[in-house]
Amino acid sequence: MNGTGVNGAGMNGAGRLPAPAGRLIDRNRTVQFNFEGRSYEGFAGDTIASALAANDVWLLSRSFKYRRPRGVLTMAGQDANTLVQIGPEPNVLADRRSIGNGISVLGQNYDGSLENDRGRWVESFGRFMPVGFYYKAFYKPKSAWKFWERVIRNKAGLGKVDVDAHHGYFDKQYLFADVAVIGGGPAGLSAALQAAEAGAEVILVDDTPELGGSLNYARFDGSGEMARTVGGELRAAVALTPNIRVLSAATCTGWFSDNWLPVIAGDRLYKMRAKAVVMATGSIEQPMVFRNNDLPGVMLGSAAQRLISFYGVKPGRRAVVATANADGYGVALDLIEAGVAVQAVVDLRPSVAPSPLAKAIFNRGIRVVTGHTIAEAMPSAARDRVAGVLVAEITGEGTFAQAAETIECDLVCMSVGYTPAGQLLHHAGTKFFYDRASHMFQPGVVPAHVFPAGSVNGTYNLDTVIAEGRHAGWAAAKDAGLAAGAEPAMSGEKGAAGQTHPWPIFPHPKGKDFVDFDEDLQVKDLINGLADGYDNIELLKRYSTVGMGPSQGRHSAVAAVRITAKETGRDIAGMSVTTQRPPYMPEKFGHLAGRVFEPERHTAMHHRHIEAGAKMMVAGLWYRPAFYGPSENREQAIREEVLSVRENVGLIDVSTLGGLDIRGADAAEFLNRLYTFAYAKQPVGRSRYVLMTEQAGAIIDDGVACRFHDEHFYVTATTGGVDAVYRQMLFWNAQWRLDVDVANVTAAYAGVNIAGPRSREVLQKLCDDVDLSAEAFPYMGVRTGTVAGVPVRLLRVGFVGELGYEIHIPASQGEVVWDALMAAGQPFSIRPFGVEAQRVLRLEKGHIIVGQDTDGLTHPYEADMAWAISRKKPFFVGGRSIEIQAEKGLTRKLVGFTLDDPQAPVPEECHLVIRGGAIVGRVTSAVRSPSVGKVIGLAYVAPDQAEVGQSFDIRIGGGRMIEARVVPIPFYDPENKRQEM
Amino acid sequence: MAAVNALQPTDRLRRSFVYRILQANGAVFEEINGGAVAMRFGASTESEVAKARRLGLADLSPLPRTGFKGVGTVDWLTAQGLTIGPDSNRAYRQSGGELAARLAPTEVLLLDSLSGDGALIERLNGAWGWSTETPRKPIGYPMPRADSHCWFAVTGEQAPAMFAKICGVDLRPNKFPEGAIAQTSVARINGIVIRQATALPSYYLLADSASAEYLWHGVMDAMLEFDGGPVGLAAVRELSSGV
Repeated sequence: MNGTGVNGAGMNGAGRLPAPAGRLIDRNRTVQFNFEGRSYEGFAGDTIASALAANDVWLLSRSFKYRRPRGVLTMAGQDANTLVQIGPEPNVLADRRSIGNGISVLGQNYDGSLENDRGRWVESFGRFMPVGFYYKAFYKPKSAWKFWERVIRNKAGLGKVDVDAHHGYFDKQYLFADVAVIGGGPAGLSAALQAAEAGAEVILVDDTPELGGSLNYARFDGSGEMARTVGGELRAAVALTPNIRVLSAATCTGWFSDNWLPVIAGDRLYKMRAKAVVMATGSIEQPMVFRNNDLPGVMLGSAAQRLISFYGVKPGRRAVVATANADGYGVALDLIEAGVAVQAVVDLRPSVAPSPLAKAIFNRGIRVVTGHTIAEAMPSAARDRVAGVLVAEITGEGTFAQAAETIECDLVCMSVGYTPAGQLLHHAGTKFFYDRASHMFQPGVVPAHVFPAGSVNGTYNLDTVIAEGRHAGWAAAKDAGLAAGAEPAMSGEKGAAGQTHPWPIFPHPKGKDFVDFDEDLQVKDLINGLADGYDNIELLKRYSTVGMGPSQGRHSAVAAVRITAKETGRDIAGMSVTTQRPPYMPEKFGHLAGRVFEPERHTAMHHRHIEAGAKMMVAGLWYRPAFYGPSENREQAIREEVLSVRENVGLIDVSTLGGLDIRGADAAEFLNRLYTFAYAKQPVGRSRYVLMTEQAGAIIDDGVACRFHDEHFYVTATTGGVDAVYRQMLFWNAQWRLDVDVANVTAAYAGVNIAGPRSREVLQKLCDDVDLSAEAFPYMGVRTGTVAGVPVRLLRVGFVGELGYEIHIPASQGEVVWDALMAAGQPFSIRPFGVEAQRVLRLEKGHIIVGQDTDGLTHPYEADMAWAISRKKPFFVGGRSIEIQAEKGLTRKLVGFTLDDPQAPVPEECHLVIRGGAIVGRVTSAVRSPSVGKVIGLAYVAPDQAEVGQSFDIRIGGGRMIEARVVPIPFYDPENKRQEM
Repeated sequence: MAAVNALQPTDRLRRSFVYRILQANGAVFEEINGGAVAMRFGASTESEVAKARRLGLADLSPLPRTGFKGVGTVDWLTAQGLTIGPDSNRAYRQSGGELAARLAPTEVLLLDSLSGDGALIERLNGAWGWSTETPRKPIGYPMPRADSHCWFAVTGEQAPAMFAKICGVDLRPNKFPEGAIAQTSVARINGIVIRQATALPSYYLLADSASAEYLWHGVMDAMLEFDGGPVGLAAVRELSSGV
């Protein structure tokens, strides 16, 4: 800790290496952050893990089950060891997430503090928790689960979710490419360049901040020049190629049909569609299995190289490199150049295969021990970092001699082999087979339009990788329909042999030889699982959870297959790794949800309602005024709005009603076939009720048809039903091929209904080109004219049962007419009324609301709407079904009812009608009517209860029964004189 | 701040579906064909044109437009002097700068030029009528496009990138040529996107007028990362000049 109380990682920080190490950090910009309550400094470009490593902090988190200390494993965002919590965000990859000024980072899976976890005792009881123990425990006696569930949920980990965390801003964006190249290593860069040369629009996706892949950290020759030169040339060429778009620090998380590729970068999910895809996703270095192979300080060789090259961090002071390939010697060289004392290179092979890298190590006099393995890593006194290893001679597959040499070190690098990063190829349906020569799984047949290249395809020799990338880019461009030119040569040694050891697994009698770090699974756990009968890798996976943790088997799947093959005596060549499914890397719900699009529809008068204090309600996408005034005055407001219409004049916004222009020589015939009534003889200037049924005879919508011309009907539909009605019309119009055009003009017309005994007086002040008298413009008449200078359609309809006019106005002028009517009505104390009042008013008139007083099975006879069916026409949709149902007899009927008991509460919708303990119907609508002065409603009852004057019982809340009596409808103004004034 | 006596949308019968939003953004309105059009947003013309070149959103809803639909539509419009090509989902430029957007073999959307004088639209609306001849010759039917759809312009270099956040169609200039039409989903509502004939990417966006406020906010939100913003008709005209 420095003098300011901040742990520094400046140029002089003990863990920092001079340039050119640290290619991703900006040493001119320091960043301060907190980890476990302590303040640290790093550089811009540092990840949390690299900045902490630079401050010699190697303990990042604890394991899921045994709470074992965990640190850097891959430095590639591929493992669960580095999952940390940042504020409300759990499971952040510390070796991927950049530090930011002021962020507070915590480890995960501990009680108390990360360094002194009170839950460490769990590990001592490890032998009582064999694989699958949770399937066998905690359920006896039955009551035990209630206790254990709480304990287990408390212990279960992977961070803490803050349910009160605010919603982040995530969004999505579409991307389009001729050729998508996934992976920015030498194969991907070459492929992108070749495809671009062919004229393809290329999008190159790479999950690191800088293109180059292994060229940016690995060593391909003794001097390290090859990687620098080749990487520099490829990057420069890509930068100069305008038709390559590079997405860096972006992860393609899956492959879906037709090359649909989700790519996550920051808080954005790209949805990319490519004609062809080059999969150059590389390979994943595999850990060794030995006792305590999970201690902080034990890491992949490539992790140490990434720390050095990317972040300029010295990964340790004294190192042992365990290897079985030439790359391990490259790691040792990098460590030496970084000032790390390489105590020994422990080579699992009986002898060292000649390579420039091995030669360089020998030339430096570094001790190389062949035919040996690390048998055990030993922890430091604080048990939070490796302090040494026991090195023993290999005596057979997975066995070693008891005699062992102790080598002190604080860093162990493992370079024993690879497995293809073939997850996306898996998603695309590619099967992987085991190649005996290379001891690796390799992709088999790949689907059309997908082209693998590089180490994912089992190619490791750099020249061949580049040639293969070029070829894949050419093939992809050609597949995308471009003139790709001559086929590039693709030859050369793939270089896969000798990269991967066939059995880097050394079980220890005392265990803690971890195969799966995510789930703390040891070798014996898998063996026990197999012994329990789960002798197939897919079964073993589900039983033991191997490969089911956050890293999804990237470091455990191959070892698990090897162990399964050995224990079951099967040939590994006949086996495969478990199925890989999207996503390849974790996706947040925020990524999947993206930016929330919640469309809203506002009427032309929307803001007038808000200004008038309306309480708005949602009707589909529309917003409608429910009533005007504060919520606490709801009942009073509705009552006053009702009485205003009954006694004076009110104005309601009915813009949300559907409007459909039906035009053409066959318009009347079209309506005749679609609706239950008859329209052929409907006079121009008149409207008529429309009731639509579907083919089974059920009511699906209603409205009115206004005839403005012999060949033109303007048909209204319900707010929620118009889109379905429009679809029905288009469907049937296509079937019948009548001379009709159907247009949905709902949005084009605002609508108001001015209703009440004084409505004519108000309207007359604004309309001088239509004779509004009852004689000239009678009930159910329709006219065109102007109101307040605006051309409108006028409809005399009576949903609320009073003299009234529906005025349909061009939407852009709706507000003008609303304002004019409110102003003209002021002397008459006009007031706006909302949907709630309208519901009361219509119920007083006994009008049904489709969807409320009907359900998906209601046919017109049940709804007592036989009057709306024309029997003189040969056909309408649903007509035959309705007749069949009518002949079969009714099972229920909709009736109007009142309650004789003035003190009885108002039944609610769906309160049941009960007879003899059986359900015979239900209430569909009920209100305490301001106009009638009593409770009124509609209900389905048994047919033999439907006669006027009969009583039936309704079971209301709390199980109480109340008696209702069938009465004729309308409840109000039964002779309909008021609406026909 | 607009001058005290400056024209406001509420001074006219026809009002844009987003006029309140425009007012809140400091729009300066001018009358065109009986409607109040947001001409600029208080900034200098140069800076607003610069914004339009980068990424701008303009409301053209008060400008004249109409539509015709049904059997006989194209023949009738051709007889009225319009030039309409054979391909659907193409907009055909008329001699006065108007666009005849052929949405389907029997459906045409007509957008006035940016002058907004509306002469052609008015003539066509006046020319259409119910014929008395028997049988009646099919000439299609008028569509109330001025009221069913809001009309926005999205302008500037970043427009394709912005659209990629809200629309699944590839609208980049090299993939979506001048005059191309996409009838598609934009920010989860139905929209008509028409590529204008301008040097910079510029698009007309027409959508449900009742959803205009929602769409305006949605597009503005998508524009933020590109430093886009509202622009007036003046800037859109400037970008379109010379075409």
